[in-house]
Amino acid sequence: MLAHSFFFYIFSFIAIFSAIMVTVSKNTVHSVFFLILDFISISCLFIMIGAEFLGMIMLIVYVGAVAVLFLFVVMMLNVAQQKKQWFSSIGSSKHIPIGVLISVIIFFELIIVIGGWKFKPNVSSSLMLSPNIGISNTHSIGNVLYTDYIHLFQLSGMILLVAMIGAIVLTFRKRLGLKKQNYFSQISRERSDSVELKDVPTNKGVDLDG
Amino acid sequence: MDKLNFIYPEIFTSLSIMSLLILGVFKKNSSSLINNLSVLSLVGALILILNYPLEINLNLFNGGYKIDYLSSYMKILTILSGIFILITSSKFLKVLKLFQIEYPILILSSILGMMVMISSNDLIVFYLGLELQSLALYVLASFNRDQIKSSEAGLKYFVLSALSSGLLLYGCSLIYGFSGSTNFDQISSAMIGDQYGLTFGIVFILVGLAFKISAVPFHMWAPDVYEGSPTSVTLFFAIAPKIAALTVFIRFLYVPFINVIDQWQIIIIFLSVASMIFGAVAAIGQKNLKRLIAYSSIGHMGYVLAGICTGTNQGVQSSVFYISIYLIMNLGFFSFLFMLKKDNKYYEDMDDLSGLSKNHPLIALSLLIILFSLAGIPPLAGFFAKFYIFKAVIDQSMYFLAILGLLSTVIAAFYYLRIVKIMYFDQEKIIYDKDYNLGLKLTLIASTIIILFYFIYPSKLIEIVSKIEIII
Repeated sequence: MLAHSFFFYIFSFIAIFSAIMVTVSKNTVHSVFFLILDFISISCLFIMIGAEFLGMIMLIVYVGAVAVLFLFVVMMLNVAQQKKQWFSSIGSSKHIPIGVLISVIIFFELIIVIGGWKFKPNVSSSLMLSPNIGISNTHSIGNVLYTDYIHLFQLSGMILLVAMIGAIVLTFRKRLGLKKQNYFSQISRERSDSVELKDVPTNKGVDLDG
Repeated sequence: MDKLNFIYPEIFTSLSIMSLLILGVFKKNSSSLINNLSVLSLVGALILILNYPLEINLNLFNGGYKIDYLSSYMKILTILSGIFILITSSKFLKVLKLFQIEYPILILSSILGMMVMISSNDLIVFYLGLELQSLALYVLASFNRDQIKSSEAGLKYFVLSALSSGLLLYGCSLIYGFSGSTNFDQISSAMIGDQYGLTFGIVFILVGLAFKISAVPFHMWAPDVYEGSPTSVTLFFAIAPKIAALTVFIRFLYVPFINVIDQWQIIIIFLSVASMIFGAVAAIGQKNLKRLIAYSSIGHMGYVLAGICTGTNQGVQSSVFYISIYLIMNLGFFSFLFMLKKDNKYYEDMDDLSGLSKNHPLIALSLLIILFSLAGIPPLAGFFAKFYIFKAVIDQSMYFLAILGLLSTVIAAFYYLRIVKIMYFDQEKIIYDKDYNLGLKLTLIASTIIILFYFIYPSKLIEIVSKIEIII
């Protein structure tokens, strides 16, 4: 148990620290690295509470795909070094009071919400649900995902399809004046298509266009 | 899964999206074909909806998906608007060299998302439908990507919409946390007393929804996005998402939360009054017709919300009635905009209309009728729409709201009448091309005739709408 709480605090500390570092570090590449560190520590937390599927998906999707993509974009766009830190720049500092005001309001709203918390009458019974030990997490997610939530699963597929179409529509440009090699027309070319034999009378010459 | 046949319209639409996509990839230069096939597949979905009696009331997918009269009616409205948008805008897109296969496919997928939203009886289903429709709308807004204004519109809509989706999800999480379910029926049975958490959840979700129908104070994106997007997309923005969001408004407020009406009624009243007044006042200074219609749609959403805030079946029916008439008027107005073409350039400023009646008397006359109807002048259809809203509001003794609504109608009449003045009494300027295609003519004539002669036989649409009974 001691080891469990020890690791919990370690990973939580790393997660919070790196989340703060994402916003304050000057170099954008460092920000992305801290984001990756954040994802990894959160997936460790997931694994610690026994949600190994979520933890692994988090690693694969967020670290493996999203964060690496971020890194590529940041490096490509060459915005690694921010000249001005946004806290100290004059242009944005006038928005800080409004931002602070809104954060304070939302903070107090949260306090009110948590203060007014009442449990549902039968919520404790659902907390006591004994999970079926024989079935792994992945299995049980699959069991509901492909039966009770099949329509949502299919809809997510449609959303991804639309996202793909959108990305293609907005970025694909047809290049004009491009010369392409067509193997079929090259191979199926006959001698008669390109060579023409002409009788050349002496001292007359040939009319090339005709 | 024995009731799967009730979601055939959705299944059919998604299958046609995929097959049209494949067809578009393998067949070169098939834009016209795909456009026509998309219209056909929408007609097919319409037939599939009408295939079953509309009065059925059933829940599918563990209660997460509801098929009832309201959902069928709103789906029919959405699909009809989709059909008319596709048949009016093909010429416009060809002139702007935007006639690509993806355009009708994106419209179809957005309509699919709206159909899911309309039928949703569950927060997750609702959210996925919302994302499907908005994702297609982001792309459509920046469809004319070589123009900086169109890209700006797409980006602006994307960023602000993502923000509102975030607020909406926060609200969903609060509601789930306090009621223990995402299903509307189960939320309603889990309501015990008044809980702050649920109220906050309602507020956050209402913010997200108000953003989608551009009600004040969440309207900032609307004028810029309406102006920047291609006109055909603006037409889509002006009608289709509002129908879907209105249905969610009705279902979300009336199914789980009708018992806490005192918690949300004041919010809707505020949104309604602010939208009516702002829509009327801010439109006065506009020069661009698309910006003007953006402000006008903000105002019209105010009237729709006034119907919803009554908390009665009559109010809901008047809102649904209003949005049906609003759809017809907007279709007419935009098909008029598609006719202002000269030398492959479309005109959209108010000055371009000056003296239009001299050279184009028929178009000017139909625009006159549409504008009078938008302003709510009797005996046109727009008057009846406003009349039923105010009747529902006054029946609940909300005189304050009715008076403010009437006042803003008077203010709004000013800018509609100013267009008429420019059109009929100013010096003539431009003679436009007269090569309208069939769909455009058909839409303008049909909408004008419906608006003009609605008063002869007003009971039919009322009869249809009055079958919507959300509170039992």
